[in-house]
Parts: sequence; C-alpha cells; structure tokens
Amino acid sequence: MILPTPEQKTQWEEEGYLVFENAIQGADLKRLQTAFDYWADVCKEEWLDRVEAGEAAATFYDIPNPLEKDPIFIDIIDYPSYYGALMAFTDYELILLGPQVRTVAPWPVSYTGWHPDVGYDNPLHIKVQIYVNDVEPGGGEFGFVPGSHKPDSGPYTRPMRQESMTGHKTFPGKAGTAIMFNSCGWHVSMDNHSDTPRKSIILIYEKRTPGRVKPEQFAAISAYCQTPERRALFSLDS
Amino acid sequence: MPRIDSHLHVFTKASPEFPRETTAVCPAEREESAEKLLGVMAEHQIDQAVLVQMGGASIAHHRYLLHCLKEYPNRFLGIGLVPEGHPNPADHMAQLTDNTGVIGFRFSTFGGPRDIFAKMDVREFAAYPIWKCAAERDYVLWLYPNAVNAHLLPYLIQEFPQVRVVLNHLAACPGKGKFSWDALGRPQIQVTGYNLFMHITYRLARFENVNVHFSGQYAFSREEFPYKDLAGWHRGLLSGFGTKRLMWATDFPWILEEPGYGKLTTVIEELLPGLSEAELADIMGGNAKRILRFPDL
Repeated sequence: MILPTPEQKTQWEEEGYLVFENAIQGADLKRLQTAFDYWADVCKEEWLDRVEAGEAAATFYDIPNPLEKDPIFIDIIDYPSYYGALMAFTDYELILLGPQVRTVAPWPVSYTGWHPDVGYDNPLHIKVQIYVNDVEPGGGEFGFVPGSHKPDSGPYTRPMRQESMTGHKTFPGKAGTAIMFNSCGWHVSMDNHSDTPRKSIILIYEKRTPGRVKPEQFAAISAYCQTPERRALFSLDS
Repeated sequence: MPRIDSHLHVFTKASPEFPRETTAVCPAEREESAEKLLGVMAEHQIDQAVLVQMGGASIAHHRYLLHCLKEYPNRFLGIGLVPEGHPNPADHMAQLTDNTGVIGFRFSTFGGPRDIFAKMDVREFAAYPIWKCAAERDYVLWLYPNAVNAHLLPYLIQEFPQVRVVLNHLAACPGKGKFSWDALGRPQIQVTGYNLFMHITYRLARFENVNVHFSGQYAFSREEFPYKDLAGWHRGLLSGFGTKRLMWATDFPWILEEPGYGKLTTVIEELLPGLSEAELADIMGGNAKRILRFPDL
C-alpha cells in the first residue's frame, strides 16, 4: 500500500484535494478505456430512451451497474496509486458508496453548477475522479475551491458562470489522472466547449459508519471480493 | 406593483363563433370564461394575467383568446400556438400578433437531434425559422419542452439572445408517456424522485433572457397543497435565476377545485418563506410586468 507523503497529508488537510498524475497507466489504462468505450456504446440507446421518457438527464450518462460489467471497474476501486491515501485519510475505515462511470457531452453550459456534496457534519466523504480520456482546459475538466472543505471557510455562493467562482482551481489532465477530493468542498465540472465528450469515473467513498451500505448492495460482485480488505471495502460482511 | 397571474387558460363553449377542439376534460359544453377568471382574480387581488391558448392551434381556434384580449386589453396578454408542421409559421404568427395582445407563442419541440452527442447545427433545427421570426418581431417564446428536446434549447438561446424565453411550470420537461389527468381533471406529470431538470433547464439560468414560471406544482407534487416536496425545486430555481426572472402563475382553471385559486396565491410564501416583501412582489407580478411588458392599469 502506497501511503501518502507528509506533503500530501498537509495538502489534503489544508486544501482538500490531491492529484495523482498517471495514477492508472499502461495496460491497465488501456483495459479501462476499452471497457469504458464498449459498455458506454452498448448502454447508450437505452439511456436515450430513458431521456425521452424523462427518467434520465440528457446532458450526461452513466453506465448502469458497472461493477457487474467488467472486473476492471472493480479493480480501480482499490487501485494502489490512491488506495493508500484513501485508507490513511479514513483511519482505515474506508467503504465504497458507489461508482459513476460517466460520459459528459459537450454542451454550451456545464451539466452542473458549483456545489458541495455533503455538509460538514457528514462522515468524511471522498470522491476520486479518474479521467478516462485526456481532458483539456475547456473540456469539462474538474474544478475545486481549495480549502472550501473546511467548516470555517466561505461562505460560498454559486456564481452564474463556472469561471467566476472565487478562489477556484481547474484540473485538466491526461487520461489516467486521478483527482481525490473532500466532497464537503465546492466543486464542479467546468463547461465543455470542445468537440470531445469528457469520459471519467467518479468513485464515491466514505468513512465507515454502521449500516451505511447494506451487504446486498454489492453482493453481485462478491466472487471478486475474496480478501478481508475488499469485503470490508464493499461492506459485504457488515 | 400589480399582481399578475402569468400563465392560465380560458375557453368558452365550442361554437361556430368560437370553435375549439374538444376532449374528455374539455367537452364542448364546458366553459371557463374570462369573466369567471376576472371574478376569481378580483376576489384574490390579482390584477392581470397571461392567457395561454388551448383547444387548437389554427387561426380560427384562437378566436376566443383574441376576443378576450380585445375585450380586456389592460388586463390580459396572450400566448398563441402554431400548428405543428405549419408550412409558413411566420405568416401564422404575424396574423395573430397584429395589435391583438398576443405577445408570443408556446412550443414543446425544437426539431433537432435526439442525441446530445450528435453534431448540432442550429440552422438545421425545425424550430429555427420560428426562433428567427421571434427574434425579428420581438415575440416571447413560451416553452414547455419535452424531455427529449430540452438539450437543444441552449443552442437556440445562444443563437437568439434577444428572444425573451419563459420556461413554463418550474422549468420541467415532461417525459414521453408521463402525462395523465387526475380524478379532479388536472394534468399530472410523473417525474423521478431525483430532480433531473437541474442538469438541463436550470442550467439555462446562465442566459439572461431566460425566465421561469413558478406554476403547475399540483402536477408534479406527490403531496397536497402547499406541495412541500417541491420546496427544493423552488429553492434551486431561486438560487439559479434569482428573484428577477421568476414569475408566479396558477394554471387556472385546473386548480379551481383543488387546491383553489386563493390558496395558490400564497404558494410562493409557503415554499420560499425567506423572501423579502420586495422580492415576493417581483415574483407575484413585478417581473411579469417588466418582462412581458404589461400595460399600466
């Protein structure tokens, strides 16, 4: 397990995010891209039908039940390059809430505005966003307000335009980049004015609290979770 | 500041003078007249209203709407309809807006690619000529987009930033097969528990010419008045659009029996209790007067 350096720990505490360049690379990245593209293509028509029926948003789509579709989507949940940091920051009480294997279309405006996901009283809630393709500036890259995860920061208000958020930082990056952030912090997907959809995976974790995830939630992938660590991560025995 | 009901419908009995399409909810003998509306408005201190055409899109079908606008020019403005596939929508719109009080037109479709990932050329959208005409003649576009169309809107709005746009009924985009009528004769729209509109129409707050109705709560809520389950929708719209681009409306006559017109005049206070008096006055009429250019009383 690769534990965070003292510098990384300080940045995490002070700024609320870490960037892991080349977190996934080589054959694993290729495997991830292949699985992503295959399943995104297979699932697209059903998503369009759901958009028409008013059951899904038109501006992005997630591959349904990705963990059951290809083991690479399981393997990235505890991927060595960032797993150690996740474990350390949650005092080794890490659980997965779920993955979002997401394709975001180019659109004149971003599909979401600046927001935090949870309040400061929530158990530590962490997201890891992994770019599956290169994300250029203006290509729907992740944005975050460093320090906004702290209860004494702010107050923050949502600006009309993404780029008007006070103190924000944007994170374009190469495929395989992973951005870990405290979800109390204000974050966003910047506008995508390019011609390229943004393909990314958002992994959602939390510090364990009793009963947060029921054993049935990830029971379908139990066969891939034989170690005690994985069973704990997927709440399979709680 | 006037209090303006910014979206409702009136109709009279179907007749040669005032022809209209009939349905189970609006049979030929049903009448919800302008005079009945004015009576209810007076009872609840509502000064003016926007009459939205229903019962057909042909010129003849608009006769009752035009009659009401002519009879009460200081009280009402009108929104018309354009027949789908009309060969010359500009002519149709011009006929209906020649000093009649009709200020714009209502649409649900835009005729572009179903797939947001497709190449978008706004000039290829079927609705492009209508928007162009609206831009040239200063019409208001009154939009209740189908779910499959909503992603096309920002392309049109970007192309025609001068067109005043009003998104109907909480900026909702009904899905195919999700519309029905309830036992009280009111439209019902089945929606997901998670508010999808915040990823589509709420994002249009970026464009300063886009405005939204606070109306139609009864159709989306799973609760009785005051529809507290929709408070989050109202807060989301307020957060995005601010207090100057939101307009209150009742969707008369569907609400007459339940919850009743009077109750709906208080729905904004119920769902957004933190508004100042001035902000509430803007939403209850000031914004409609300014945006739609209602005449002074």
